Amino acid sequence: MIESYDVIVIGGGATGAGVVRDCVRRGIRVLLIERFDISTGATGRNHGLLHSGARYAVTDAESAEECIKENMILRRIASHCVEETDGLFLSLPEDDLSFQSKFVEACRHAGIRADVIDPKEALLLEPSANPDIIGAVRVPDGAVDPFRLTASNIIDAKAHGAEVLTYHEVTGFIREQNRIVGVKVLEHKTKEVKSYYASIVVNAGGIWGHDIARMVGVTINMLPAKGALLIFGHRVNQMVLNRCRKPADADILVPGDTISLIGTTSSKVPFEEVDRMLVTSAEVDLLLREGEKLAPVLAQTRILRAYAGVRPLVASDDDPSGRSVSRGIVLLDHAVRDGLEGFITITGGKLMTYRLMAEWTTDLICRKLNVSAACTTAVEKLPGSREAVEEIGKKMISVPLAQRNSTIYRHGDLAEKLAENTVSEYSLVCECEEVSVGEVKYALNELDVHNLVDLRRRTRVGMGTCQGELCACRAAGLMSSMHKYCTKRAKEDLASFLNERWKGMAPIAWGDTLRESEYMSWVYRGVCGLEWSQKQEE
Amino acid sequence: MKFDTLIIGGGLAGLVCGIALAKKGQRCVIVSSGQSALHFSSGSFDLLNTLPDGSQVSCPDRAWSALAAQAPTHPYVKLGKETFVRLASQVQPFLQKSGVLVQGSGLCNQYRITPMGTLKSTWLTLDDFPVCRMPDRLPWKKVAIFNMAGFLDFYTQFIVDEFRKIGTESSVHLFHFAGLECLRKNPSEMRSTNIARMFEKKENLEKLVLTIRQESGDAEVVLLPAIVGLVAKDGLEMLRCQVEKPLYLLPTLPPSVPGIRTQQILRKCFQDAGGVYMLGDTVKGVEKEGNRIARVYSCNHGDIPFVASNVVLATGSYFSQGLIATPDRVYEPVADLDVVYETGRDCWYDLNLFARQHYQDFGVKTDAGFRGIYQGNVLENLYVAGALLEGFNPIREGSGAGVSILSALYVAEQILSEKL
Repeated sequence: MIESYDVIVIGGGATGAGVVRDCVRRGIRVLLIERFDISTGATGRNHGLLHSGARYAVTDAESAEECIKENMILRRIASHCVEETDGLFLSLPEDDLSFQSKFVEACRHAGIRADVIDPKEALLLEPSANPDIIGAVRVPDGAVDPFRLTASNIIDAKAHGAEVLTYHEVTGFIREQNRIVGVKVLEHKTKEVKSYYASIVVNAGGIWGHDIARMVGVTINMLPAKGALLIFGHRVNQMVLNRCRKPADADILVPGDTISLIGTTSSKVPFEEVDRMLVTSAEVDLLLREGEKLAPVLAQTRILRAYAGVRPLVASDDDPSGRSVSRGIVLLDHAVRDGLEGFITITGGKLMTYRLMAEWTTDLICRKLNVSAACTTAVEKLPGSREAVEEIGKKMISVPLAQRNSTIYRHGDLAEKLAENTVSEYSLVCECEEVSVGEVKYALNELDVHNLVDLRRRTRVGMGTCQGELCACRAAGLMSSMHKYCTKRAKEDLASFLNERWKGMAPIAWGDTLRESEYMSWVYRGVCGLEWSQKQEE
Repeated sequence: MKFDTLIIGGGLAGLVCGIALAKKGQRCVIVSSGQSALHFSSGSFDLLNTLPDGSQVSCPDRAWSALAAQAPTHPYVKLGKETFVRLASQVQPFLQKSGVLVQGSGLCNQYRITPMGTLKSTWLTLDDFPVCRMPDRLPWKKVAIFNMAGFLDFYTQFIVDEFRKIGTESSVHLFHFAGLECLRKNPSEMRSTNIARMFEKKENLEKLVLTIRQESGDAEVVLLPAIVGLVAKDGLEMLRCQVEKPLYLLPTLPPSVPGIRTQQILRKCFQDAGGVYMLGDTVKGVEKEGNRIARVYSCNHGDIPFVASNVVLATGSYFSQGLIATPDRVYEPVADLDVVYETGRDCWYDLNLFARQHYQDFGVKTDAGFRGIYQGNVLENLYVAGALLEGFNPIREGSGAGVSILSALYVAEQILSEKL
């Protein structure tokens, strides 16, 4: 049987998920193929900042305008993924205050509300901010949860008939003369190779899109830019804190859920390294040094993890040196650019503009397929964001308060699925993040979970201060008892989950984090006798 | 406050040292800030399971020479082979006299059962836990495993599947009865210690006995997660008496009910021997006079110092804050003793959590008599025992409990011999 679609989208990040949602809502038969889990690339490895666009106002007016428009759209369509915190752009004594007026002017020009406020007032609004500030501007920044946002796009796409294959890796293309007609896909679980056919294949692979394009002989001049971030153990700030200067390293502190995030660094890395992004001690030191300037309390705040993502920066086509880099959206119709029909690349851009990127891509697809349906993603709310929090809470009144609030926070109106839970399902798997047995079961049954790391992305299991000390074992047991896998796989998965947690802890393993790590070693290696072989890593 | 010996740290090392000294008539005080590694014990004590080069050890006394070659500053090597063997032979009777009953086979290792159902090398095991001599065979063909429904820190299927691999069949029985239901009201209460508290009530225990008797069928033994016997062993003994079959406990994920009980028994033994146990106090710092510790100050006692002829530092490693790591160094916070560690934190870790972690090798430098060193000079009346010692990796070697007990006994001997 030939599996045939109108469109195949490669890449399960925010962009790919957005394209799939947009396509299926316009009546296009679409298949998403992702080599690992959704949001494993740059989507899951950034600030989670709902940019107002202010950061780009001075240097890149076009991006700034796109950002503020999408910012307002996401507040409406993805309210359960967004926290409307607002942000401050702080000027420190070492910063040039004259930049502030230029900044405010540029913001207003881009349509971004920017209110200059008294430093004293700023400190009242945000007590964690550096008390030495000499200036402050308030802008409509916020926090957005990229996991949730992507998952919600996928849920909606699937509800409208899209097919999604995770842990399927594209290993080759099927070509007829100058036209791409399908892809060859390796299923990681079974090692089976399958073929899928479509009129159009969309490359939404982020930085990995570079290699995907190369498979069909197309060159996209991408520059992998590594950005490292640190997660702090509790929420230090309530508003997003930025430095009011030209964008530089480690000058944004974003609150999100129960934590705060400082980032990012920016460094070019070779393509060979993009799958193994490790944060160096030099990067950690830089992030801390700069972060403390925004919020001095960071010097005494426990760091939970360090991680890094890779931005897919694209050099302009007419600049082979790669120096002229755009952070804007890059949509390449390879039929026009390279004479290759049936292949489109969407890249560049940023998390904030994922929906717009998807709209542009789907508009192009529609032109090619002669579909006239218009884009609705700017108005149709995402699943989870369709009801007010108070209304959801009322329907779940029988669920204990802590679990009720945390599941609503994470799943929005989809949390209602837990309303019928029984008392044994209220038990907590993860005590740090208040993840109940019922929530884990929901994720296992409905959200394409294949392993503990997938489960973490959907529920926050193991993301709290203990980084999975007890909950990892509990969740592995639950997954096994729900026949997600055998106990042998469960133990391997447990070990690889703990190792994944450790990779983010090692760069900052001193103080309490080292205490926690030592405890983790004692419990799992000592008491449990768990081992982990090199083979598992491959 | 004047004492013969002040012991800082109330974990396994501090208690063993305190008991050994108090029983010989010393006036001792233990200052303990609270939890110790005993609180997540497996119910077994390891002496030496693996040499630093990775080779397995079946009899630690026979592995001593190889250890000496591979880890010259290892606490066991500092003891010398003869003392190592002599002290190790004393441990089982010592624990027995202190009220902690353990089973072992002399100086050889045996195997215990992990919460994952696998067999793991160990040395001495609490008498209510099962042990076996072979790494690949259990002494039973058929077992009945009981667990409380909804208790997530003990997953029976892990155990069933591992047992099947080595030829033992298991039946699993989940129990829930009214007396335990109140635990479900607060969703974070379903922990081993909270369940154990419910089994301090006789009626709940009787109900459990009944369940086990009705359901265990033709199984040769009954296995139960360690959720009974938190305060006293009476409940556990009643259970073992009335079940009419051998009954053993298996370790759960932390907290460890048998570990907490062991700590309480040792503490009571120390107090019965006249020792003073100050719980919830933390030592802030020391005053040195020449090469001696003259005074020790704690949080609760402000400017009233502890004065003692000898001070034993048994404050544990990082977890217990006997060692503190900052981004660029590792230090000992009480007396600022010299610490052996590598410079540059990049070499402290391996990115594979399950590989050797160098930070676990770091520790406080001592002379051959386990006396601490400050800026290159030996402190004459400050001894170091347990996890904060240099030269060993407790997790990789499986030597944590052994080093704690043996170094504590040795330090006690050193202090007592001084007096003569």
